[in-house]
Amino acid sequence: MAAALLAACGGGGGDTTPRQSVSAVKVFGDSLADVGTFGIKFTVQGSATRIYPERIALAYGLSAGCPFFKFTGVTFVANSVAGCTNFAIGGGVINGASSGLTAADPRIVGVQIATATAAGNFAAGDLLVIDGGGNDAAALVGAYLNAAKDGGASYVSLIGTLLTPAQVGAAVAGGQAGLATAGGQYMTALAGNFYTSIKGGALDKGAQRLLLINMPPVTDTPRFQMVLDSIAAASGGGATGSAARAQSETLFRGWVSAFNTELARRVAGDARVAVFDAAKSIDDVVATPSQYAVTNAKTPACPITGLGSDGLPTYDFATCTDTALSAKPPTGVTGANWWQSYYFSDGFHPSPYGHQLAYQGIAKVLAEAGWL
Amino acid sequence: MNKTFHAAFVLAAGLAAAGAASAQSTGALLVRIGATQIKPDVRSGDLTAPSLPGTQADIKSDTQPTAGLTYMVTDNLSLDLPLALGFKHDIVGAGAIGGVGKIGEVKALPVTLLGQYRFFSASDRFRPYVGIGPTYAKFYKARSTATLTALTGGSPSNPTTIAVQSKLTYSVQVGLSVVLAPGWMLDAAVLKTPLSTRTTLSSGQTLDAKLDPLSMTIGVGYKF
Repeated sequence: MAAALLAACGGGGGDTTPRQSVSAVKVFGDSLADVGTFGIKFTVQGSATRIYPERIALAYGLSAGCPFFKFTGVTFVANSVAGCTNFAIGGGVINGASSGLTAADPRIVGVQIATATAAGNFAAGDLLVIDGGGNDAAALVGAYLNAAKDGGASYVSLIGTLLTPAQVGAAVAGGQAGLATAGGQYMTALAGNFYTSIKGGALDKGAQRLLLINMPPVTDTPRFQMVLDSIAAASGGGATGSAARAQSETLFRGWVSAFNTELARRVAGDARVAVFDAAKSIDDVVATPSQYAVTNAKTPACPITGLGSDGLPTYDFATCTDTALSAKPPTGVTGANWWQSYYFSDGFHPSPYGHQLAYQGIAKVLAEAGWL
Repeated sequence: MNKTFHAAFVLAAGLAAAGAASAQSTGALLVRIGATQIKPDVRSGDLTAPSLPGTQADIKSDTQPTAGLTYMVTDNLSLDLPLALGFKHDIVGAGAIGGVGKIGEVKALPVTLLGQYRFFSASDRFRPYVGIGPTYAKFYKARSTATLTALTGGSPSNPTTIAVQSKLTYSVQVGLSVVLAPGWMLDAAVLKTPLSTRTTLSSGQTLDAKLDPLSMTIGVGYKF
C-alpha cells in the first residue's frame, strides 16, 4: 500500500482539450473584435497583445485569426491572405443609416455576416462571435448632446432611421423629455434590427453556436466620463452640476439597458445563442477594479496625442506600443508593466488586460453552454 | 421442508456456531475487502482576486474498491487500518461559476489508523464499534480542465494548473460487524474526517475550502 501510495505521487498538469471542438471561429463586429483591418488592433500594440476573439480561437487550438477585410485608405477590400474569418471592422455599427453608411458597407455587422455566407452556409463546426452596438450607442449619445448646437436636428434625423415618423413626431412634440424617451425606443428598435440580421444572416443559415456580446455601457469609458464631467461643468458645477451629470448618465445607461433587455428577450430560449453580458462585466470591473487586479479603470494607458474637434483628447494606437508604454510610466506610477493592469487603452477601448477580462467572462458563458 | 426455509435454517445454525467460535477475540487478525464511497461535504471559500466575486468549487464523491486490516488487541479494543488504492474526485464550479461544470480533478488517498472499541463480547454475532484516529489526506495528480484555464485567462500554451494541499487530520468512526458464518463477517462503517485544505492555482490564486468528507464503507471480512 505504501509503495502504491508513493508510486501514485506526481503532478497532474492541465487538460487543454475543450469539451467541444470548433473548426473555425467566425467573428463579426466593431473595433473591439477587429484584429487588423487597418493594420492595428484597437488597443495597445504588441506581439503579446491578444484581443478577446483571438483568445477564444486560441482556446480551441486554432490560430488567433486574421482580418477578412483590409482598408486601402479609401475603401474595404478582401484580404489577400486566404482563410481569414475575422470580419469585424473598427467603426462597425448595427445601423449603417445612422452613420451615413451605404447599405453594402462592410462596417455594418449585418453586411459582414452576409459576406461570410456568400459562398455557403455556416458549418456545424463554426463558432460565431458577434459584437456590436457600442458605436451605435456612442452615435446616439453624441447626437443627443449635440442638440444644444444644432437644435436637435442630427438627433431627430438619427432616431428617424429606425423609428416611425409618428414616433419621431411625438418625441419632438414632447420636448426634451420626449426626445430622451425616444432614445430608449430607438435602442429597443436597434436591438430588434440587430436580432433580425443575426436571425436571418446566421441562425437561418446553419449557425449552431453563436456567442453574442451585448452592448457595452459606453458611459463607463474615460471618453464618456469626460463628456459627463463637461455636462456637470456646463451646469455650473457643484451640486447642480453633479445632479445634471447623474441625470445624463442615468439616461444614457437606460438606453444601453433598453437595447440589452430587448436583445436578451429576442434570443431567450434559443440554445444556439449564448449571450455574454458585457454591460455587467464592464460595470463590475469599473465598480470594483481591485477584485479584478485592475489598478486603474479610469485613465487610458495610451498617451494623449491631440485634441479632437469635439474638445475631447485623441489617441494614436499605431504609436501606442507595449515597449513605448513600458519605457514611459506616467508620473507617480512605477514599473515597466504598469500599463498591463490598466483597464482602458484609449478613451473608448479596453487595454489588452481589459480584453483578457472580457475573455474570462466569455469563457464562463461558453462553459455554461457546454461549448468550452 | 421447502428449500428456502432449509437454507435459512442452515445459515442461522451457522451464525450461532460462529458466535460460539469467538470471531473477534484477543489476537485475531481480520482481513476485509469491500467498497468505499468518499463524499465531501464542501463549504467553499472564494477564489482570491483576480476573479469573478464568489468564484467557488465543489468536489464530487467517488467510490472505489477498498480493503482493510483489523487487529484485536483485546476482546474489545482493536486497531484498524483501512486500505485503498486512491480515489479520483471531479472538481466542478460553484458559486458565481456554478454552471460551468468540471474545472478539474484530483486523486485522493486518505491514510488512516483507527483505534476502535467494539461493544459486547468476542462471541457476539452483532458488534457495533466506534473508532478514532489520525488521517493523512494525501492529494495528488490534480489536473485542471480547459474550462478552468479559460476562466482564469490562461491558454492551451500556458494552461492554469492546480495543486491541492495534503493535510494531517483525524477521523471518527461508527461501525457494525455481523458474523455471517464461522470466520466470516459483514462489516459496515461510516467515517467523518474534518478537513480544510487550500487549492493553489499556477496563477498564484488560492481557494480555501472545508471538505469534511464522509466515508461510507462496506465489506466482507475473514478472521485469520
